Amino acid sequence: METDVKLDIDVKAERYGKALETPEIAGRGKGVLHDIFRDRAFHGVHQGTTWQLHRYGINCKLSGSVYAVTEILGAIPLVHGPIGCSFHQRLTPRRIYTPIQDMPCTGLDENAVIYGGEDELRKKIVDSYSRYKPELIAVLPTCVSGLTGDDIQGVIHEVEAKVPCDILYVPSEGFAHRDRRALDVFLKDFTKAWKDPAKVPAYEIRGYGHEEVMLALVDQIMDDQYDENADNLVNIETFGRFSYGFESELKEMASLLGKMGVGINTTLLSCTVDAIKKAPAARLNIVRRGIRWAEQMKKEFDTDYLRRWFFYTGIDGTEKFLLYVASTLDLDGEAEEVVRIEKKRALQELDKYCKTFKNHVFALFTIGFFFTPYSVKTYALDFKIPLKYVCVDTRWMRAQNVSDETTESMIRGMGELIDDWDLGVELVVNPNLHELKEIAKKVDHVLGERSATPIYEKEGISMIDTSIGAYLFNRIGFNGMLEFASYLTQEMKKQRNHREPIISKFDYDETYYPILADPMCLASREMWSTMWRLRSG
Amino acid sequence: MAKMDGGKFFGTFRACSGIKDAVVLTHVPVGCNWGAAMFKTTSNQSDIRQACTVMHEREIVFGGEEALREALVRADKLYNTPLLAVVAGDAPAIIGDDIEAVIDSVVLNKEVVWMDAAGFKGTMREGYEEALVHLARLMEERNVIKNSLNLIGFCPDDFKVDADIKEIKRLLNSAGIQVNCVISNCSFDEFVNAPAAELNVVMGQGTELAEHMKKAFGVPYLEVGYPYGLEGTKEFINTICEHLHVGVNEKKLDFDLEPFKRIYLYLHELYGTPVSVIGDFHAEPIAHFLDCELGFDIEVLASNEDDYFTFEQNVRNSNTTILFGSSFERNIADELRIPLIRFVYPVFDHVCVYEDAPYAGFRGAVCLTETILNAVMSFGKETG
Amino acid sequence: MKTDVEVDETARYGKAKALEAPETASKGVLQNVFRDRVFNGIYQGTTWQFHRYGIDCKLSGSVYAVSEIDGAIPLIHGPNGCAFHQRLTPRKMYAPIYNLPCTNLDENDVIYGGEEKLRKKIYEVYHRFHPSLIAVLPTCVSGLVGDDVQGIITEVEVPCDILYIPSEGFAHRSRESLDLLMRDYAESWKDPTRSPAYDLRGCGHEEVMFSLVDQLMEEQDIVENLVNIESFGRFTYGFESELQEIKHIFDGMGVRVNLTLPTCTVAEIKRAPAAELNIVTRNIRWAERMKENFGNDYLRKWFFYFGFDGVEKFYHDVASKLGLDGEAYAAVKKEKMQALGELERYQRMFARDDFAVSTQGFFFTPYLVSMYAQDLKLPIKHLCVDTQLLKGLNISDRTIEIMMKNMEEAFLNWDLGFEVVMNPTLDEMSEIAKNVDHVLSDRITPPLYEKGGEIGMIDISTTRYLLFRTGFSGIVEFGKYLASVLYRERTKRKPIIARFDYDTTYYPLLADPMCMASRGMWFTMWSMKSEKKEAQNGNRC
Repeated sequence: METDVKLDIDVKAERYGKALETPEIAGRGKGVLHDIFRDRAFHGVHQGTTWQLHRYGINCKLSGSVYAVTEILGAIPLVHGPIGCSFHQRLTPRRIYTPIQDMPCTGLDENAVIYGGEDELRKKIVDSYSRYKPELIAVLPTCVSGLTGDDIQGVIHEVEAKVPCDILYVPSEGFAHRDRRALDVFLKDFTKAWKDPAKVPAYEIRGYGHEEVMLALVDQIMDDQYDENADNLVNIETFGRFSYGFESELKEMASLLGKMGVGINTTLLSCTVDAIKKAPAARLNIVRRGIRWAEQMKKEFDTDYLRRWFFYTGIDGTEKFLLYVASTLDLDGEAEEVVRIEKKRALQELDKYCKTFKNHVFALFTIGFFFTPYSVKTYALDFKIPLKYVCVDTRWMRAQNVSDETTESMIRGMGELIDDWDLGVELVVNPNLHELKEIAKKVDHVLGERSATPIYEKEGISMIDTSIGAYLFNRIGFNGMLEFASYLTQEMKKQRNHREPIISKFDYDETYYPILADPMCLASREMWSTMWRLRSG
Repeated sequence: MAKMDGGKFFGTFRACSGIKDAVVLTHVPVGCNWGAAMFKTTSNQSDIRQACTVMHEREIVFGGEEALREALVRADKLYNTPLLAVVAGDAPAIIGDDIEAVIDSVVLNKEVVWMDAAGFKGTMREGYEEALVHLARLMEERNVIKNSLNLIGFCPDDFKVDADIKEIKRLLNSAGIQVNCVISNCSFDEFVNAPAAELNVVMGQGTELAEHMKKAFGVPYLEVGYPYGLEGTKEFINTICEHLHVGVNEKKLDFDLEPFKRIYLYLHELYGTPVSVIGDFHAEPIAHFLDCELGFDIEVLASNEDDYFTFEQNVRNSNTTILFGSSFERNIADELRIPLIRFVYPVFDHVCVYEDAPYAGFRGAVCLTETILNAVMSFGKETG
Repeated sequence: MKTDVEVDETARYGKAKALEAPETASKGVLQNVFRDRVFNGIYQGTTWQFHRYGIDCKLSGSVYAVSEIDGAIPLIHGPNGCAFHQRLTPRKMYAPIYNLPCTNLDENDVIYGGEEKLRKKIYEVYHRFHPSLIAVLPTCVSGLVGDDVQGIITEVEVPCDILYIPSEGFAHRSRESLDLLMRDYAESWKDPTRSPAYDLRGCGHEEVMFSLVDQLMEEQDIVENLVNIESFGRFTYGFESELQEIKHIFDGMGVRVNLTLPTCTVAEIKRAPAAELNIVTRNIRWAERMKENFGNDYLRKWFFYFGFDGVEKFYHDVASKLGLDGEAYAAVKKEKMQALGELERYQRMFARDDFAVSTQGFFFTPYLVSMYAQDLKLPIKHLCVDTQLLKGLNISDRTIEIMMKNMEEAFLNWDLGFEVVMNPTLDEMSEIAKNVDHVLSDRITPPLYEKGGEIGMIDISTTRYLLFRTGFSGIVEFGKYLASVLYRERTKRKPIIARFDYDTTYYPLLADPMCMASRGMWFTMWSMKSEKKEAQNGNRC
């Protein structure tokens, strides 16, 4: 019988005196920037720890695989190994803020090592299905099961008739990984690509784990489905790690692409199992990390791909990217018009802020890395920020085992590009404190990154922390730029007290900042560096 | 305008109940008495030193003087206390009860001080200030104790009050300075002997009392900010030492960075986090700590005497990711799905009973930082 | 263009994806009660404690009652301090009332009147909150000043309803009121037709209910078989699950629930008179008024409606009032039999052992005990009744005597066959404990007895709430719970709360001279406001 007595959780909330209106007036607080600040605080608080640990070691392939699987809605990772592996992988570095609760493990013991663990695996697959009713069980072997030679794929084949869900095999044994020089090699290639985007390196982080999952999904889960009525679909690769403000970015993408006549088929891997199966329905994959899975999809399903590289940043870069998408989908005419309108709108809005910026003089302080020249270009050409100096701190790169030779070529490349673009800035490499103070006196504002800002503030050099830009410049869309411009305008007006942050009071190692200048820590770092080098490929 | 302020009655009550062996007799209808008790005893359930004259219909019509007289006589018999503080609220102020005459008409074995504390006559702070001045007539001239001071501005129901006082005393003692009396969180005798101090240190409120003591007893005073953070504490101690011409022992005043080192990477990651703060006089000093030493960006800084709707609106329109305030801010914090760090009165949904976990002083900087980090780290899941 | 991208933070942040509702998770009645008791009830001790030192004013009950109404805002017409402290209304301390606007009367307003402020504030409140109802609550100050609150309300034009509630806080119940009520209750144990029509004067809640009837409810065509249920948030742990069960049983009977008053919307309140019957759980005045104004009948849910038979009788009485006897009876019987069937296995388990029950004497004690003995079939050997709390609540010795006498008579009539021990000492309790297999306590005294490490008690103070529900499942859940804890190994505990010196009469007050003196002051000052005295002074009570 019908009754209008409400008994759901909302009633409880109302009963307990919740605010009686949904504030329509909440404005900025609900926007892109707010989204990013929240993510950065609540999730990013752990970021420093994970980066720090990378100076003393790296995690194994299992880590990336576990993380990738847990991004999929309805999927469960099943670790085939000893209990310790799953214990520690619950705190996967990419998602420390949300440990993985549901992660069954075969718990291999001494017996299993001697006699094999296939039986344990067989039982665990069935048990995992019964307990969690997932749509996908991803079996992740470990070093131990790799060494004992369990025929995992064989077991999966046996068991799959007994469980109604899909089972995925991912080669996640953790004893193969990138070598110490990998980043150096990659950066060297990247530097070349700055000047000639056709030369972008097809980089793959070996032993990463994530890629293995992507490839396994392409090979084992995706179905060849081509939907005649949906030929303007794209898949977008997501990457949960540190991708602050992803939701708002996705909203903007959906809106922009939608106007262009492009639909988003799915966001890999932040989607359902079913969506993964239907991934081949898209004509185009938008790749944000490694391309191997996209190449495999092209091979198996003829799905084209477009890698969103650094040169697709900034207003023009974003336009170029969107037009390229349209072109690939044969939507040139109408889509061009949409992009043109959106770009115009963005430029008009940006102009308001540019008018403010042009009356001031700036210095930019940055650590040299993948996209530096293009970030500088964005400041100078998109925001029309009168940049007088660009100060690059390359110490961080040395700490990442990047050779001096590579660093030099990066700086050279940067300088050349700055000249080519006629930006009129002076490039200052590794300014000491005195030099930086002098620079600060000659400009109105110093834009800095969060890593260094606290240290320099202590010395009286006030910086505007623009690290948030890293999350806004690289978005597919124009709004990120507008948000950043708005944010910068506000920050420029703020009165800056002299600060002595607690974190600036510590003794840091000069080279390996922010490692503390502690003999024990430094020795541990050295040990890692040495041992890793010995395992170079 | 909407304010999260308790009005003069609350301020007066808080000041009087800070005399820890005094009894507060509220001359009010039952509700006012209840409210004052409720807020006071969140972390002090075993300390009930108040009574009420229970102004009822009859008193409203015919006056409450008889009820007051009766209550005074009974309280005199029942309580073993040196002081009865009579706090008259809104109703007697309107009906015109002659409190003084009633007090004069009875012979009691205790000191009695009364004050007009009609809530509608002022803010909580004004009630506190006035009450202390009234109570000051109990003070007696004393020989000055060298290198001693009174701390003025406390209330017995401030959040972390006992822990903060313990830490502040520890720091001052290590500088060779004795705390003579903490107002208002002391015994009757300590209060009476307050003029023995060489200096009054006003920490946010109580300036009127300090002025009075200067005139009446020649005790000079100093106004300082509440000692939050390492630098804030250092400044606090240094300023006091300077005024008392006590040499600062830098070594003893050095703070230990070790606890911060243990979580320094988290601090790095939270650098630049936008936050908002609201509170009484505690608000500005804590904002200073958050800004200068933790590197947070202060989006909104408001007083509990400001318009609350405007404050809420400003916070909504900002990027505030952590809110600092009282338990009343839980509503806006819940709405915005951000953590709330409670640091200022009134706090009624958290307890603070551990006296070695202050928010003030050097140790307080550690404890507060720990609290903030834990709030952020455990909040991560809530955003999902 | 279509997209199936779901922007869902929950999914993205990898919240534990238990893909089915786990059968093992107790989402049931007992969990509901435990949760409420922990997260809401943590404050219960504090509010009870304060009742030994004072009571809150009418404004408190009024603010609370209004806050229960979905879409209503209480507007306090008084000084800021009233709103400040009433945000923490004792009935809902776990959920402070954050949105509590106030006219902030200051000295000027006391002299010149606060009507203009009230007028402006009503507009401001509407503009800010867009409520469906603004309830104007005057305070002592506005009452004394003589503001014409009702006049202002009539003048002001806003799109929502405005309610006037006489909530000035200087009239409240006397100290003896509880004593009188207890005595009436004790008498009614023998003769349920004599159940007292009690009215908690100065509660504030009643004033709101009354105002709702007079000012908000609208004439409706009475719909057959439609009922309103009075809700009352305070300490009603597990209210949601109880309501679900009531609905379920009513469904079977062909009865519909119109609304739960005042935990409902403003629109629903207006339609309240459409119900054929009001089910009253507290005071009857508002129901009588509804009967007078709109012709709605009412049924008061009394203590004799507890237990299997009692619950059945309740539903029968409802059916009877609605003229639904035949089929309704069958539906109720079915529920009852099902519950009895479920309970049977636990009863068998209980039958193997002997029990002692420690309970405090209060309103429903005999009926509660009867549930233990007759519904749950616990073989009770000793019933220990603690009347100390009653003394702490100013219940006279004479009334306590009547209560005990009537209780024992009831037990005799029901042939329960156990020994009644009043206020056993620790030694006596220890002896009793040795004499039985299990001691149950529905008070918070287990910590005290555990102090010496001697007497292990099974604490049923939370689960006891299950026995007062308007349904059968509570008793079954209680039985299930008791069965699960009966054989748990009990370590010897030394609870910290057992280490304090408590006053023996006014437990859990500490034996502290200051606290005791404060209690004494309240006791005395309150007694001066007794109704007898007021009558002697020629004043209306």
